[in-house]
Amino acid sequence: MNEQLQQFLTGRIWLREHTPFPREVIDAHIDSGHIHLKPGITTYSKSNLFWQSNKRVCNRCHNMKPSLFQTFNCARCNKVCTYCRHCIRMGRVSSCSQLLLWDKQHARGANVHVFAWSGQFTAPQQKASEELLSSVEQNQSHLVHAVCGAGKTELLFPAIFASLQAGKRVCVAAPRTDVILELFPRFQKVFPNTAIHALYGSAPDQHGFAELVLATTHQLYRFEQAFDVVFVDEADAFPYHADETLQKAVTKAAKQNAAIHYVTATPTESLKTTNRSILTRRYHGHDLPVPRFDSLWGYARQLNKGKIPHKLQKWINEKIDSKTPFLIFLPTIEVLENFPGDLPRVHAEHPDRKELVLQLREKKIPGLLTTTILERGVTIENVHVAIVGAEQPIFTSSALIQISGRVGRSAQYPNGDIVFFHHGISREMDKAQDAIEGWNRS
Amino acid sequence: MTCLICGNPYQSMATWTKIFLYELDSSTCIRCLEKFEISQSTIDFTDFLGTPYEGAVDSVYCLYTYNEAMREYLHQYKFLQDVALAKVFARKLQQAFHTKEGIVVPIPMHPEKLVLRTFAQVDELLNAAQISYQQLLIKTKSETQGKKSKKERLKTTNLFETIQTIEATNYILFDDIYTTGATIHHAAKILKDAGAKRVDAITLIKG
Repeated sequence: MNEQLQQFLTGRIWLREHTPFPREVIDAHIDSGHIHLKPGITTYSKSNLFWQSNKRVCNRCHNMKPSLFQTFNCARCNKVCTYCRHCIRMGRVSSCSQLLLWDKQHARGANVHVFAWSGQFTAPQQKASEELLSSVEQNQSHLVHAVCGAGKTELLFPAIFASLQAGKRVCVAAPRTDVILELFPRFQKVFPNTAIHALYGSAPDQHGFAELVLATTHQLYRFEQAFDVVFVDEADAFPYHADETLQKAVTKAAKQNAAIHYVTATPTESLKTTNRSILTRRYHGHDLPVPRFDSLWGYARQLNKGKIPHKLQKWINEKIDSKTPFLIFLPTIEVLENFPGDLPRVHAEHPDRKELVLQLREKKIPGLLTTTILERGVTIENVHVAIVGAEQPIFTSSALIQISGRVGRSAQYPNGDIVFFHHGISREMDKAQDAIEGWNRS
Repeated sequence: MTCLICGNPYQSMATWTKIFLYELDSSTCIRCLEKFEISQSTIDFTDFLGTPYEGAVDSVYCLYTYNEAMREYLHQYKFLQDVALAKVFARKLQQAFHTKEGIVVPIPMHPEKLVLRTFAQVDELLNAAQISYQQLLIKTKSETQGKKSKKERLKTTNLFETIQTIEATNYILFDDIYTTGATIHHAAKILKDAGAKRVDAITLIKG
């Protein structure tokens, strides 16, 4: 048995054409029963007297949407083949492709884990962390509901360490690459002896068997029955809560009966767990800045004409004059691109997103226009925030709470301006304001 | 409708031409389509003057330039093998072929390459545009043009052979990309030598 192959494939479901191992090695392990094969796409046919319907499932990403399957004449198998467009960026899975799964003798980690964290918990953090630890030990699902800036990641450390010591394989998943990139160096410091892999789109190859895997939820399409403990960070973030296949991916990546734990500031009602902890205070103990509403009637028409509404212009000027960094959230890419003036702007397809955020942090630029892409995960000291068009449906209460959570994160500047410029107040805006005020009261 | 490229929903306009003239829908949103840049450059054949390929091709028409959006498109279409993307240029190709008369001949792939790619990207573009074509050529060499210099490309013996008799009529060669022009000239020469009256070429991209 090839040990490298065993370490690589344990817990994975991998497209045969994309393995970094020679064909003969794979063939030998299929013959010896170490590797089990699955077809790429499974078709379930239902037929009765009048019609026949086919339901297709991609065995990697579990996509079942008919519009995301494409049929063509395949020159490899000389048949009509179907492939999944949903996970095509990870290499195409079609009816004639084979998925590899490791079947016998799973690889195990051999490291002696060390816990090198010297930070201090506040009393509420300590309580939540202990509750999470006991849930993890009893294998019961747990939700940590913590406000933005409460120090959520640290809460996981004791529970992860206990799981690793018990010889379990642990996964920390988050919907966004930015979050994984931020977590990786922190985890490497805290668990210096543990083999950790960070998996995201275009991540470099990482060898050996990882006891702790940090992965975007997308990357979990490539795992099956792999983890004893799974934590989902920012479980309410786009696209996780909107994409059913990502939720299935998390369940699929966990071993049967393994509990899945969630950490989020804005839990959706669909998140059901056995236990739950709530943290309503920031780590520095100050109140959360409460958003204020300010009318900006007819802003869309004015922006279309190439004019910045007076109130908004005044707000921008104030921030520039007082040298306060600011973020302005806009509802769509079109509004962002057509926004008058020469303020720098970022959106999901923008190539130097990270670069511009860094420049704002270093005060090289006065402010930044953005879409909801920056709603979470960014920490900029003393940043002030405005949302233009806060009544638009893209700004759900959880998005509004997250955006408000950008303000006042550091202990030196616990306050800051967060304003919702609107053309009529929506229910979601009220919900967000009520929630924040509620946390401050409790 | 859902855009084939960005996956976002978009409104497909119902136009008279779509209803009565069976105009094809590109299944792509306007924002994505606008990122492709229409090619303005005209192509001359001065490189081929004095070579055996002089006069082999009568005209070349390229639809788009090779820009960032096109690079990404080709990556997803050819490298990630997303056959569905053949539809993106269906309408434009249909319009381009409408203006020319002749038998459409796609540039073939080497059979071994075809099995690896699982589909012939040039043929699929024509299928999506509902343009009928005849496969009159086969590729005899499996090496790719991309890795060779211009001089090397011209020196190599002809890459193609005909597999059917060629009539004394008009032919339109079709390929995905026109870079140095070697491929199109090789194919055109084979057709001309076999008796074709006129050989025009259309490519999706000017590389």
